[in-house]
Amino acid sequence: MKFLSIVQLTFRESLAKKTFIAFMGISTFICLLFIFALNVDIVDGMQSGLSIFGKEVSNQIDLTKIIYGIEGGLSVLLYTAGIFLSLFATSNLIPTLLKPGFVDLFISKPVSRFQILSGRFLGSILIVALNIFYLVIFSGLILSIKTGIWNFGFLWAAVIIVLSFLVLFSLMTFLSVISKNGPLSLMVTYLILFFSPLLLARDKIYALLSSKYFGYFFDGLYYALPKTAEMGAITQFLARGVPIDSWMPLWSSLLFAVVMLGLSGYIFQRKSF
Amino acid sequence: MYTVETFDLTKHYSGGKVKALTNCNIRVEEGRIFGLLGPNGAGKTTLVKTLLGIIHPTGGSAKVLGQPITDYHIHNKIGYLAENHRFPEFLNARQILLYYGKMSGLSKETLSRKIPELLELVNLSDWADVKTHKYSKGMAQRLGLAHALINDPDLIFLDEPTDGIDPVGRKEIRDLLLKLRTEGKTIFLNSHQLSEVERISDEIAILKNGNVLQIGRVDDFISVKSQYQLQIQNGTLSFSELCAGLNIPVLQAEDHYTVTVEDERHLNRLIDKLRAEKVLIKSIVPRKITLEDYFIDVIEEGEAL
Ligand SMILES: Nc1ncnc2c1ncn2[C@@H]1O[C@H](COP(=O)(O)OP(=O)(O)O)[C@@H](O)[C@H]1O
Ligand SMILES: [Mg+2]
Repeated sequence: MKFLSIVQLTFRESLAKKTFIAFMGISTFICLLFIFALNVDIVDGMQSGLSIFGKEVSNQIDLTKIIYGIEGGLSVLLYTAGIFLSLFATSNLIPTLLKPGFVDLFISKPVSRFQILSGRFLGSILIVALNIFYLVIFSGLILSIKTGIWNFGFLWAAVIIVLSFLVLFSLMTFLSVISKNGPLSLMVTYLILFFSPLLLARDKIYALLSSKYFGYFFDGLYYALPKTAEMGAITQFLARGVPIDSWMPLWSSLLFAVVMLGLSGYIFQRKSF
Repeated sequence: MYTVETFDLTKHYSGGKVKALTNCNIRVEEGRIFGLLGPNGAGKTTLVKTLLGIIHPTGGSAKVLGQPITDYHIHNKIGYLAENHRFPEFLNARQILLYYGKMSGLSKETLSRKIPELLELVNLSDWADVKTHKYSKGMAQRLGLAHALINDPDLIFLDEPTDGIDPVGRKEIRDLLLKLRTEGKTIFLNSHQLSEVERISDEIAILKNGNVLQIGRVDDFISVKSQYQLQIQNGTLSFSELCAGLNIPVLQAEDHYTVTVEDERHLNRLIDKLRAEKVLIKSIVPRKITLEDYFIDVIEEGEAL
């Protein structure tokens, strides 16, 4: 109950920021677009013709491809723009918590500091998860009901997107706890987000390195930091029904999140406000 | 059991350069109003925040309600009005009391009964549904007070509670605190304004530069030194010499002397001496020093620290 109220308050605070309302609005717009752009003619209980954005689609195999393609595209959109915006919209939730006069009120309640920080963290994750699942479930349902093609990979893609956000948000939380500076934490997190594809392609620059130790260094960075590029690929593959060869990028990134949260909790615990 | 007890509690910042609080030893008895006085920057807020676990001490230890300050569970019996507190601005008073009440572990049912009562108590009923960013400083302060009372606490810390509140509101707050004391609650009151504390506190501590300079009952403060104003018929006798013989410091004014004696017996020895010398005593008046004079005295004496 006490813990839940911290989660609820964070949730309420995010809603007050309106960014998430805008987010919901865009999602709703996309779904409405599907409702009207997707035209299925049912003749004698059988599907006789289908058009998407005015283009006729003739056979069932093409249709499946198109639906998986749309859902793959949506998950890429959510993975990139969705996470980008979510990080932006949540970037001041932790720094606000740490403001003098605000954090005092939490600490003076019968809750542990660990509960305060994790409640705040969970609240932030929940609001983003709500937004992502809203679009995925709503648009997925429209597409599936209209065409009869059910793609549960799309739902799993949403789970990966939320987990990827969680990983990056844990980094941002850590940075906020040490710097108390929202914009700075956001920028560094963006940097890591964009650095990931470069690290993934590190073998391309190995030939240029003067020493093999630089190679080890980049390997180390690759394994230590969140693997956002590969998690993006996993998301897209799941949505398009492509088998995944390795889950390593996911679990190693989650491990990173656990370490970040542990460190954040430890530092928050020892801080005076 | 003391509700608050500190043992050489110390908080230094920047590796000892800023001594916010040094070897603080205070005890607050149950059911009392304890006033912590001191100029700005004295360390009052530091002390209260340390007692609540918001600031970690760099030395010493303390207990609140019999528990070490590291035990956050005890906070369910504590209320706190922070100096410059900051509530989420997108919420109204009712919602704030609801969220923070839940955080104190109260049930929805208790809160739905308690919230209107408290809003009434601090005169915010008409503003209950207005978002707090529209509140004046005084209203925010009254909401803070309601928030501090939401869990029906045994011990209440109030850090500059009358800040930004007009004289009428101040009187209301003082009356409220006195009423809370009759309910057996202990109140720990921080203020840099003597007049706020003087009238209602049972006990006072004066803090300066992180050091407790004086601690005691309000009456004790004034009667630490007994001073009397004496008017006598001037004769041949040297009053100053006579006092010097009794080890009594004297100040001479135009029409009277002011003597500082240890106690009444000491004063009577002086009277005996004067009568033995056949000096006519016109009047003896105990000199009242206001707590304010005393406060300023102590603060200035503490200047050396
Ligand atoms: N975080 C901090 N870092 C360094 N010095 C601090 C910090 N917080 C308070 N101080 C210093 O500690 C002293 C006591 O401050 P405070 O407890 O707020 O005094 P008061 O409440 O009596 O006005 C002041 O000199 C203040 O500048
Ligand atoms: Mg203060």
